[in-house]
Amino acid sequence: MNNMINRLKKIDIKSITLYIGAVLILVAFTIICKINGKDFLTTSNIQNIIAQSSVIAVVAIGTSLVILTGGIDLSVGSIVGFVGIFGGMLIKNGISLPLTILICIAVSAIIGLMTGYIVSYGKVPAFIVTLGTMQIIRGVTKVLTSGKPVAGFPDALSELTAFEIFGIPIIIFYVFVLYALIMFTLKKTKFGRRIYAIGGNANAAKLSGIKVNKIEMLTYMLAAIFSALGGILLLSRLSYADPNAGSGYEMDAIAAVVIGGIGLSGGKGKAGNTLVGALILGMLKCGLQILNVPVYYQTIIIGVVIILAVYMDKAKERKAE
Amino acid sequence: MEEILLEMSGINKSFFGVQVLNNAQIQVRSGEVHVLLGENGAGKSTLIKILSGAYQKESGKIILDGEELNACSPKQMIEKGVSVIYQEFNLNPYVPIYENIMLGKEIGKYGIINHKSSIQEAQKYLDLIGLEVDPRTLVGELSVAQKQMVEIAKAISTDVKLLVLDEPTASITEKETLKLFEIVRNLKKKGIGIIYISHRMSELFEIGDRCTVMRDGQYVKTLDLDKTNVDELTKLMVGREVSFERFKNSYIVEDEVVLEVNNIVYKNVLKDISFKLKKGEILGLAGLVGAGRTELAKCIIGAYKKSNGTVYLKGKKLKDKDIKDSIDKGIVYLSEDRKDEGLVQIHPLTDNIALPNHEKLCKFVLNNKKVCTVTKEYINKLKIKSSSHMAEAKSLSGGNQQKVVIAKWLYSNADIYIFDEPTRGIDVGARDEIYNIMVDLVKNGASIIMISSDMVEVQKMCNRIIVLKEGRVTADLENTDELTQDQILYYALSGGGQIE
Repeated sequence: MNNMINRLKKIDIKSITLYIGAVLILVAFTIICKINGKDFLTTSNIQNIIAQSSVIAVVAIGTSLVILTGGIDLSVGSIVGFVGIFGGMLIKNGISLPLTILICIAVSAIIGLMTGYIVSYGKVPAFIVTLGTMQIIRGVTKVLTSGKPVAGFPDALSELTAFEIFGIPIIIFYVFVLYALIMFTLKKTKFGRRIYAIGGNANAAKLSGIKVNKIEMLTYMLAAIFSALGGILLLSRLSYADPNAGSGYEMDAIAAVVIGGIGLSGGKGKAGNTLVGALILGMLKCGLQILNVPVYYQTIIIGVVIILAVYMDKAKERKAE
Repeated sequence: MEEILLEMSGINKSFFGVQVLNNAQIQVRSGEVHVLLGENGAGKSTLIKILSGAYQKESGKIILDGEELNACSPKQMIEKGVSVIYQEFNLNPYVPIYENIMLGKEIGKYGIINHKSSIQEAQKYLDLIGLEVDPRTLVGELSVAQKQMVEIAKAISTDVKLLVLDEPTASITEKETLKLFEIVRNLKKKGIGIIYISHRMSELFEIGDRCTVMRDGQYVKTLDLDKTNVDELTKLMVGREVSFERFKNSYIVEDEVVLEVNNIVYKNVLKDISFKLKKGEILGLAGLVGAGRTELAKCIIGAYKKSNGTVYLKGKKLKDKDIKDSIDKGIVYLSEDRKDEGLVQIHPLTDNIALPNHEKLCKFVLNNKKVCTVTKEYINKLKIKSSSHMAEAKSLSGGNQQKVVIAKWLYSNADIYIFDEPTRGIDVGARDEIYNIMVDLVKNGASIIMISSDMVEVQKMCNRIIVLKEGRVTADLENTDELTQDQILYYALSGGGQIE
């Protein structure tokens, strides 16, 4: 009995509120769809939600890390687009798929490392630096193909995300494996705990002998790597690379992170909940589409939800004041 | 008999269950300079913060000019005529003097500021206090003393009745101090009451009329300054005869030198500092605020990049600006600033204690079980009062937070500990516990550098005392029974035998 209470105590209220919120949105959509004579929870809808959420969910892993240190990364969407075009060109030039993926990850890692270096060692505000890299990478992407899309890929590319295991789309496995990895890293490794410490109090971390700059830089590198993975998933799913792909993803990723409960000041929150945040966003987009809500209204509703989520999240702090 | 301007009586206040003010009181007359005196942690600043509206009293009365004030906000208190000038100024360095002075009472119509009349109005107040600087000068370009004068000008521009000066001379020169006194005397003539907080005894007798002494959050006595002397005031502040048990006989200092600091220069703050620390020694670093003690500590551990100089720990040179290297070699720094530098306030005790000890607690992954065991162990050992080992650091009282800071470094098992103001803002009981921890450390072969502004504490704990003044060592004293606070203070203030 005591054990039970202790275990219950360990589950934090914030997470529970988030899960309840997610379920409520699900229930609400099911009911509203029913009233309008439609089905929300069909296999194709669920697959659609997952497909839509998966890329954002993967990109948002990196964003979570950066935000946990108290930083911000606006360049992730551009990297998604860049990887699509750059990877697409590599494949078209006869480079094998595994090698293409490796090269894409490596190049993105270098980009992230440079961004991170300027932010952490250069002391330039992250917002400014990543605003710059966001533009630069988008520009480079367009220069690569003079703004034209790349298409006509071998089947191997789309098969990367197309098959199922035990009737579950493989993309779900990808997302879960990546989240399991990052949750483990954040909770159990030195690197993970130090990310939290830096976000919580960079001065104290520094005086505790933590190489704050190095870890900060690495989070930007990881953000770029996860964006590259997201970009590859998107490329595989669409079998088509658009130089504008991924624009706005940085905002969706930030939205997923803050809905998931990680504060922009850093130091607190769970990366696992970012996945829930991404799913909530995916559900909203998909559900509003099913209900034939015009696209302009969709963005308004999503905007309201983001603010509402964080507003409720801050209830405790308001009370404390 | 002048009329009574301010009467605060029966004031109580506690934080996290620690009573900081217990039946505190002060009474200030119009046109007097009333000195508020007490050791660090006596409750002076809490009392002032209650007066300014920054804190709310739990009980007691505040009567200003015959009107009883209850639960006033800082803004309301300013409107009632109470202005506090803290050591850290509340000025915006990026805008001109006149905009700082006129903030909140801008002259103009329809929300458009009339800069010309604003400048004229500001000039009026600058003239009143005799600051000869163009009001269009940016505040950021002014010296500390000039900024202070702008603060005073800002205060008198709001029809101030009561002005509080918190350590106004701590970081200004002697000449500037004379100028400040002139201003204070002028304000006196205008019937403004002044509460003056300072530790500099000679100064108090020069500028003050009456003096209220506080100790451990309680009111001790109010005296006329021309009917008392330094000895009496010191005794009242300390509470007992200034005799205390010196711990130095309870530990043995060995001959082995563990730390050698050579010719440290840091910007224009530290000017060629050298000293040696022996095994088993508690070395005191005394001096006034701003003497460069914290900067020295941070240069030694490599948090600051020193302009010149070397540090050797047991013969091994510490790398420049590499805190990790210093910690690995066995020297750690316990910051005076628990909130900003000591602990991650929003994280549980476990994370805080684990933070500098990840190497010990990690093989491939962090051993959370061990982290919990270690944390619980220190909670018991240091008698940390906390609801659980998972409680957030910010939920603890100051004294208990300090113990957590100590715990995280005790576990790292260093050879040398630099304690920066280890008992600041901590109640008496917890203080003694911290002293005992320190003595235990040196008995077990560690060495300690103790930075402290509390003279009694320094004399009680240390084997040797180095006094710093304006970035120079002015004295290196054996802590014998003959050494008095006045002597230490003398070197800290006037720096006998300056090198130059």
